[in-house]
Amino acid sequence: MDAVSLIRAGQETDTPWRFRLDELGWRDMVAALEKDTLPFVGLWCDGTDVHALFMLSPAQPLAATLALEDGRYPALSSVRPVSSLYERRAYDLYGAEGMWAVDVRPLVDHDVWSATAPLAATPGPAGGHKGQISFQPSDALLAAGGVNAGAGPATGGMETPLHVAMAVAGETITQAETVSGYAHRGLAARWRNSRLEDACRLSGRVAAGCSVAHQAAFCQAVEAACGSAVGPETSLIRVVLLELERILLHLHTLAGLARGAGALVVASRCAWFREQLLAESAPVIGSRLLMDHCVPGGTSLREATGLGDLCISLAKLGEEIYPGLATLWRTYPALSVRLSGVGKVDATLLDRVGLDGPVARASGKDCDGRRTQRVYQTLWRLTAGRHGGTAEDRALVLLDEIGESLRMLGEAGPRLGLTAGGRVDLTLEDGEGLGMTEGPWGNVLYWVRLHAGRVAQVFVHDPAPAALMVFEETLAGQDVADLALVRQSLGVNAAALDG
Amino acid sequence: MGLIRAVFDAAFRQGGPRLKPVGPRWPLLLFHVDTGGCGGCGMELEALATGPYDMEGAGFGFVQSPRSADVLLVTGTLTRTMAPVLEAAWQAMPKPKGVICVGGCAMDGGYFPENYSVLGGLDRKAKIDLQIPGCPPSPQQVLDGLCSLFGQRVPPARGAQAEGSSSTSS
Repeated sequence: MDAVSLIRAGQETDTPWRFRLDELGWRDMVAALEKDTLPFVGLWCDGTDVHALFMLSPAQPLAATLALEDGRYPALSSVRPVSSLYERRAYDLYGAEGMWAVDVRPLVDHDVWSATAPLAATPGPAGGHKGQISFQPSDALLAAGGVNAGAGPATGGMETPLHVAMAVAGETITQAETVSGYAHRGLAARWRNSRLEDACRLSGRVAAGCSVAHQAAFCQAVEAACGSAVGPETSLIRVVLLELERILLHLHTLAGLARGAGALVVASRCAWFREQLLAESAPVIGSRLLMDHCVPGGTSLREATGLGDLCISLAKLGEEIYPGLATLWRTYPALSVRLSGVGKVDATLLDRVGLDGPVARASGKDCDGRRTQRVYQTLWRLTAGRHGGTAEDRALVLLDEIGESLRMLGEAGPRLGLTAGGRVDLTLEDGEGLGMTEGPWGNVLYWVRLHAGRVAQVFVHDPAPAALMVFEETLAGQDVADLALVRQSLGVNAAALDG
Repeated sequence: MGLIRAVFDAAFRQGGPRLKPVGPRWPLLLFHVDTGGCGGCGMELEALATGPYDMEGAGFGFVQSPRSADVLLVTGTLTRTMAPVLEAAWQAMPKPKGVICVGGCAMDGGYFPENYSVLGGLDRKAKIDLQIPGCPPSPQQVLDGLCSLFGQRVPPARGAQAEGSSSTSS
């Protein structure tokens, strides 16, 4: 039997796509997954159960649930490597132990919290560690010579805090690992039994620059749990916000990449274009980083009726500035050459960890969540993919996507007209829902459970864990000086990762 | 563990010579530490540093080492894991030195008040020389706030806006 049939053979739950397995059924599923290509989304714990989510197709979820037995469950990391990060988090937060897990080191709890297993029914004692956290290198890192260089978490730069421990030979990294948890704010605990508005605001602050993607997915999940859906106009407004966010974050990333590669003129052109777009959009939308504009049941903009005109003027601004910027990027001396040798990502690695988004699209993968979403049907069109998988390819994919998104804004503008989108009143019923969007760095998915008029639990899938694994593997063989370039071009975000 | 501490010690060595020249006409140098926020304030600081705001012209600059910094610029709520790192950066800075909090999280925790992993904002935990509210504050608000340190010094580009405006712009 394949993994899908094994999951479906389990006991049905109130959620039509989630099935409860017993331990033997779960073990059979793990065994079947070894040969199966069923895409894995994530694994999470709620204190009594552990859940694993898969995607049958881009729009068809399938989840398996297993009751913890003595706080244990059979781990999935032997067959889905990225599950390792979810398992380590489940252990840190709930004390749930993955049997036969490939990595059991702490991920976010470094023995400095005021409680161990803080989300478990009976949290453990406070961590006894004082001062800067300790880190246990993996056997692979020790075999490569042990840690003899490091970077972060406070470099003076603007990136989110993350430590990279490296084994270095001369100027070349032979092996590298990350130490995360510096930005762990306890989102899972804050979401538990929170009010809907508070939960939505928190989802906008999982990762700055991807706020719309997170909040739109959260809102969709809540709406699905309530059994309602927003109208086509509200959906289109959310699409406009998503595409604007993509443009703004890609420009931010490109500016950082150009600066890291020494092309300061290109960097300032990217930053200047971004500020031009923001100067037009912020007064209409109400903010620069687009936080808190997607709310459950609708949208919330400062001047909602001006959004249609804004789209048209942004597209016009894009027509004026974007072609010049794209030409500058492609022809600027040494920029492409500098990036072309950096951070080559193999397509098989992407398959192994399940990373999507522009990183995968730059390695020849044809994956874009927008393809299957109805609201994008007449807007989205295939962008020419690149196959090299280097930082240069990723930068050019980002550049292409900016052009595409500007075009989409131009098409969405006249359709929006003077509409304000409207609002659906949600009746909060107990239930579960799923929502997903294509964020700037890939698929963002929310699973939300509502109970007694409040948000009982939230699971977030963000590209960050998979991007971190790709980052760690890609660093081997790179120059130490290229660390920041590789990190930026892969979109490694500690805030999204740590949660 | 010893190894990682050695790495930090190398980065934040204490008691070293002051790298930065002292004098009234030198810029105020800022060392930024994200102590565990969503990264939004960091994005706005980057826009301030690279966008059309002329931060250098107003007399400020970012540095990559706390040893050459005058001011510790903190964004994000303070996590228990980042607290020793912030302390190490502070100790590595030469005197006289100051602290600036940018954004609601760094001030009082904002959306991330104290819990098992978070200590909250720096308010009432440390002497703060300047607070710039917002979630996150816009680059112009940050620049106006920084300029308010010197009273009369306002950048010529957009000097009309209010200093350290309390309105939020997320």
